[in-house]
Amino acid sequence: MKTVINEQNRRNFASQVESMLHDKLSKCYQCGKCSAGCPVNFEMDYTPNQIIKMTELGMEDKVLHSKTIWLCVSCNTCSTRCPKGFEVTGIMDVLREIAEKKGITSKVEKEVQMFHEVFLDNVKSNGRIFELELVGKYKLKTRHLFRDMFLAPKMLEKGKLKMHGEKIANLNQIAKIFKDFE
Amino acid sequence: MARIGVFVCWCGSNIAGTVDVEKVREEAAKIPGVVSALDYKYMCSDPGQNSLRNIIKEKNLTGIVLAACSPHMHENTFRKAAAKEGLNPYFVEIANIREQVSWVHENKERATAKAVDLMKMMVEKVKRDKPIEDVRVPLNKKALVIGGGIAGIQAALDIANGGVEVILVEKEPSIGGKMIQLDETFPTLDCSSCIMTPKMVEANQHPNIKLYTYSEVEDISGYIGNFKIRIKKKARSVIEKDCTGCGECWNACPMHKNIKSEFNVNLSERTAIYVPFPQAVPLVPVLDRSVCLHFKKGGKCQKCYDACGPKCINFDLQDEIIEETVGAIVASTGYDLMDTSMYGEYGYGKYKDVVSGLQFERLLSASGPTEGVIKRPSDGKTPQTIVFVQCVGSRDPEKGVPYCSKVCCMYTAKHAKLFAHKVHGSQSYVFYIDIRSTSKGYEEFVRSTMEQDGAIYLRGRVSKIYEDDGKLIVKGADTLSGNQVEIAADMVVLATGVIPKQGSDKLAQMLGISYDKYGFFTESHPKLRPAESSTAGIFLAGMAQGPRDIPESVVSGSAAASKILGLFSKNEYEVEGTIANVNESTCVACFYCQRVCAYNAISKKEIKDRSGKLIKVVANVNPGLCTGCGACVNACFSKSIDVKGFMDDQIYAEIKALAI
Repeated sequence: MKTVINEQNRRNFASQVESMLHDKLSKCYQCGKCSAGCPVNFEMDYTPNQIIKMTELGMEDKVLHSKTIWLCVSCNTCSTRCPKGFEVTGIMDVLREIAEKKGITSKVEKEVQMFHEVFLDNVKSNGRIFELELVGKYKLKTRHLFRDMFLAPKMLEKGKLKMHGEKIANLNQIAKIFKDFE
Repeated sequence: MARIGVFVCWCGSNIAGTVDVEKVREEAAKIPGVVSALDYKYMCSDPGQNSLRNIIKEKNLTGIVLAACSPHMHENTFRKAAAKEGLNPYFVEIANIREQVSWVHENKERATAKAVDLMKMMVEKVKRDKPIEDVRVPLNKKALVIGGGIAGIQAALDIANGGVEVILVEKEPSIGGKMIQLDETFPTLDCSSCIMTPKMVEANQHPNIKLYTYSEVEDISGYIGNFKIRIKKKARSVIEKDCTGCGECWNACPMHKNIKSEFNVNLSERTAIYVPFPQAVPLVPVLDRSVCLHFKKGGKCQKCYDACGPKCINFDLQDEIIEETVGAIVASTGYDLMDTSMYGEYGYGKYKDVVSGLQFERLLSASGPTEGVIKRPSDGKTPQTIVFVQCVGSRDPEKGVPYCSKVCCMYTAKHAKLFAHKVHGSQSYVFYIDIRSTSKGYEEFVRSTMEQDGAIYLRGRVSKIYEDDGKLIVKGADTLSGNQVEIAADMVVLATGVIPKQGSDKLAQMLGISYDKYGFFTESHPKLRPAESSTAGIFLAGMAQGPRDIPESVVSGSAAASKILGLFSKNEYEVEGTIANVNESTCVACFYCQRVCAYNAISKKEIKDRSGKLIKVVANVNPGLCTGCGACVNACFSKSIDVKGFMDDQIYAEIKALAI
């Protein structure tokens, strides 16, 4: 796993991430607190702290193709616990976005990536989640039309699936958030 | 008739948990001569000591046995308490029933039996104790400081400011040591010369300090209060008192090529007659006879002499021997950088742009070969990317030394920081194993090197450095991300570890102080007597004792000075009276004792009659040097030496007590 560090490429990638993240990669202690508490760490190919270090070192290919960035469930345990207040969850988001923009599709976590896309689309158009639409689009995209179908009645019963979606009042604010990020 | 008191200490449950202390007390009471036996929870406490003193008074005791902890702990405490009641303090004996009994045994019954035995032995010993007086040694109130680096200068200044005369001896042509070679110092980045030169000048001008540079201590004999020293003042070929330091001589010297400057760590050249650096103290050049044309070519060249206005160059000057007597010594001989040639993979010596930490320090320094502009040695270009490699030689028991050199983490962070400050847009990479930044402001300093100055730290070591197309390719590991990495650098700086100054082991042998397997001087106690050496009257300071940074060196210099000022606050030094004693009437003058004495404490003494005729020669013990170790007692064929307080009859009585 040899990596040749090209100074220019390293700087370009690291500073792109930093500017989107509004945080500095050099802040990280590499103490591993994030990786220690991560509930999905066991499935990841690189631990969260490794992702941070590799991003700092400009290992763009490796981080953008990693399983880790797609497996992160954004539970924020890492960011909450980080002694340096580093945006660990944030870096995963940033890396996902860069991967999306570059058209890098995760071979292993394809469906997670699809869900991510559908989810963000949903938020973008409604300002919040409309479950039925989310589920529908996701199923169309993954073509697993009948998977988990037995969950639907239960969710309906508990009022988790609404037939009509609601939009929030100031959708333009959501649009602004998306625009700012881009 | 002996009137002995026995005091059995519980030491809380430390002793009482394993030894039946009441049984020991009961057994003690049965011994003839014991008039009082007592057990108490903590004998060393105030109430414990008070009861001891009361009983001495009430029962008019002639001797005391404490069955308690090791004499190392509280012998002094109880001796003082006894002395307050008018009892000679050497009539106090300790039976060690803690370290030698309760802490090392489990079976209570057998441990108690052993404790009783030890107590009985001491009772028999104390019955035969004789009063011993402490020895008083007169003090010559003058100090010698060996080594004029920051620690030595600090020690000399503190002692001199305390009103005591100091002789400061420095091997190099100027004082200042390693610190004056440094550029800026962590973590405050104040310039080393700016804070160092005032101290050097002060040391030179201080009325109480006599400075000998370009000099070495050749011989030391004697003991605390009375060390005889011989200093060799090497021939400078320049008459110091006439020299103005104008520089005409070194400007005239034709030998300005191929002589590497020691001060600039081989990064520049110097002349044969030279001052190591412009702020040298004293600002008097030295003529290096090993390279001077005058000496090599039979006196033909004398350009420096011709150029010299006051005509203070004298090719015929000889080494001078100076003899002094001092009462105390500070050994602050400093350190050297390790030779890193065992790391072929780093290419030090092979590639010009792989430099040591001290060399990089000179490249940063405004007084250095590049006047503070960072230029790489090979082609003089300013590097854009530098790789720093930490732990070169340190923490490598296989090739280097197992210890941590302590200063490298910090100076590497400082190097990376100064590089970022001096070369904008540059990038540094630091390979490290651990980052040790434990003093005040240090951790923040290292973090700011990473966060503000953008140094990238890689946890791992470097496997290979090689040249390719004008770049140094550094291959290493980043164990945090689990990657092997390769970086193309313009320059590589090795954080070379530190070792004791060459020859410090020989000096230690001359001084009679102990040193560890690396050659660092060992302190008398690592925690409680860190400034004292193993020999009374000799103190330690600076890196000669082990890796430490500037603040710690200054502290150690001051500590040694305060110890000396404390020692000199009295007119005499008290030595424990338990020293060797020669029976002159039976001594056969074989002097085998002299050969076994590790402290040079035994000399020959001539006994003469009234008319001055020599009657016999006998062994004589110098009370200032004798430690009472007893080696001579064992060696003496005619049984003419005893150590006071450990006389033969006492030892035999102890053994007999065991047999009862």
